[in-house]
Amino acid sequence: MKILAVDDERIVLESCKRVLGESFEVSLAKSADEAFESMGREVFSLILLDIKMPGKDGMTLMRQVKDRWPQIPVIIMSGYVTNETMEEVAKTDAATFLAKPFTPDELLQTVHQVLAKEEGHG
Amino acid sequence: MLYSIRAKLIASFIGVSLVVGAFSLVVGTRLLDRAVRSEALMRVSLDLNSARELYRARTKTIEVSLNITTLGYGFLVALKDRDVSDLIFRLGRMANYASLDFAGIVDDKGEPLCRSGPNAAPSRKNPVVNPITTFALGKGTCASGTFLLSHEFLFEENPQLAERARIDIIPTPGSHPGTKKAETAGLALGAAVPVVHEGELLGVLYGGVLLNRDTKIVDTVKDTVFHNEEYKGRSVGRATIFLGDVRISTNVPAQDGGRAIGTRSAAEVREHVLEGKERWTRRAPVISDWYITAYEPIEEFRGRVVGMLGVGVLDEKYNDMRWRTLSVFIFITVLGMLAAAAVGFFVAGRLTDPISRLIKASHEVTEGSLAPDIGPESGDEIGILQRAFKEMVGAVGRRRMESQNRLIMSEKQASVGRLAAGVAHEINNPLTGVLTYTHMLLRRRDLSQEVREDLQTIAEATERVRKIVKGLLDFSRQTTPDREKVDVNKLVSSTIALMENQALVKGVDVQFDSGENLPPVNMDRNQFQSVLLNILINGLDANKAGDRITVATKNSALVNEAGQEGVEISITDTGCGIPPEHLNKLFDPFFTTKEVGHGTGLGLAVSLGIVQRHGGSIRVQSEVGKGSTFTIWVPLEGRVV
Repeated sequence: MKILAVDDERIVLESCKRVLGESFEVSLAKSADEAFESMGREVFSLILLDIKMPGKDGMTLMRQVKDRWPQIPVIIMSGYVTNETMEEVAKTDAATFLAKPFTPDELLQTVHQVLAKEEGHG
Repeated sequence: MLYSIRAKLIASFIGVSLVVGAFSLVVGTRLLDRAVRSEALMRVSLDLNSARELYRARTKTIEVSLNITTLGYGFLVALKDRDVSDLIFRLGRMANYASLDFAGIVDDKGEPLCRSGPNAAPSRKNPVVNPITTFALGKGTCASGTFLLSHEFLFEENPQLAERARIDIIPTPGSHPGTKKAETAGLALGAAVPVVHEGELLGVLYGGVLLNRDTKIVDTVKDTVFHNEEYKGRSVGRATIFLGDVRISTNVPAQDGGRAIGTRSAAEVREHVLEGKERWTRRAPVISDWYITAYEPIEEFRGRVVGMLGVGVLDEKYNDMRWRTLSVFIFITVLGMLAAAAVGFFVAGRLTDPISRLIKASHEVTEGSLAPDIGPESGDEIGILQRAFKEMVGAVGRRRMESQNRLIMSEKQASVGRLAAGVAHEINNPLTGVLTYTHMLLRRRDLSQEVREDLQTIAEATERVRKIVKGLLDFSRQTTPDREKVDVNKLVSSTIALMENQALVKGVDVQFDSGENLPPVNMDRNQFQSVLLNILINGLDANKAGDRITVATKNSALVNEAGQEGVEISITDTGCGIPPEHLNKLFDPFFTTKEVGHGTGLGLAVSLGIVQRHGGSIRVQSEVGKGSTFTIWVPLEGRVV
């Protein structure tokens, strides 16, 4: 199973890879454009997406992804939880929301829950 | 506006004094008028009596003179002997002494024997009837009184008398309409005395005075009754003898300054006195002036009413007296009004000065001053207003302070919130890395105990950082309350249940004193629970074993600025209390008295934010060593923020 993690912070990407790498094939993207390119090349089972990024932000990418690959579940990550961001997230088709910082267990648990749900649907 | 109060007061004062003055003026004038008039009428009525007595006395004088003459022996002899020349001499002497206008003797048949005037010894038979002697001849007794004498009789007696008696009638305004041009008859006072000698009637002696153009009686009245009193150059008293309604003897002045002989009385007088035969007293116009007059009828000897006797007192004297009194009254009234105006001005000043000061003070307050000068406090209702104003200014000051504090607080909260969110975003990314790698390392099984313990410490410290950042984010998250109707008592019970175990462990007793009949409150259940929990946990931290926390709910008597009614939840503990210097900072973000690592200092700040977003407030009272009371006030219908 392939998972794509999108974040402008290297440390976050590496953390994801370190935690999920044991169970999944993890691709990393440092920007929305890079992520879009990767998605054009490969098929992912899950996307971890940071919504606050310089340049094209997560929200825009989220809409593009949902347009082209509506079946791919997206977990939105953010370390900036305000009323506005929560409202924006609620408007999207995100599978769930994961607040940063998270422990490896929290990340794994969330990913497994989402995938299990997808499989249940599938 | 103040001038108008002053004007109104002065106007009221003047009005009252004017009304009182005018009333007393009217009543006083009336009373005075009545008194003066009745006095004047009474006087003139008495004057008329005196005039009548004078009139009668004159008649009596004539009668007495005649009587005395008849008693003389020489007269008797002369009459018996029909010694005409001697009789004429005696008649002349008598007429002269008694001031008679005419005198004469008729024989026992009534034929004239002789008389005092020209044609003293008449020879002509069948003379005109002598009305004076008729009664004396018939009855043989004396007769005296007023007699109406015809022109013929007067002419016979003395042509000069007839000439004197003739009076041209002068048309007089207000008199009874009549066409008679002249009065030729005469009115006379006369007497007739029969002369009897040894039972035999020798003749009748008669004599009298003609009243036409006579001045003696009326002027005597003027001199003796009215004491010749003058007012403004005119005689006050007047007397008049009328034949019919024509003035034949008077001292009433005519237009030309002479006597008003020939003028006639007012129709009214004629009607009452001549025709009604009554005494009549009234204020009436006489020729050109007004008089207080009194009239009575003059009756002919044993006959009808032939004339009138009238007296009058110049009304002007009384009129002027009235006017003088009236002037005094008016003067006093005006003086009273001026005094009232002065008093009104003074009183209005006393009243309006503090009000002006209050107005000035309220302007000062409008311009920002909270300690305006309102001057000395009055002891009356204005004093109450002044005190109320002072209290109001005080309350405004406190309110201003409160709202300023609130503003500062929310500014503080907003900026801290923004800062917190920014910091959280920056810290959370590296924190993810720290957490991930620490935990990944901890999963390894080949770690020495020492390394594992070190890693454990890193993990715990990182966890603390995560909590702090979460707290910051909670604080900055200004979530809109999700309102529903909440039973406050149930909410409090369920919240207490959440921390009961902790309290039990600590040995602190928690009691709930639930208020009755609390209406449901429109609030966010979860947010409010976190507020209550926060304050309860704080209380628990400040208490030791044996202390007590009491939660009470009740309907509040207070209303908020929007006028909403509300409910109070008070949380009282018997713990260590809060020092006064900490009370002000209690709700500041990051303010904490707890040891490092035991609190973020955001709990109360977040709680206050929630309560304020519900339109409510939190009050704290505390005494060091005795405990604290947190009182949450929340409106029944929370406003939407």
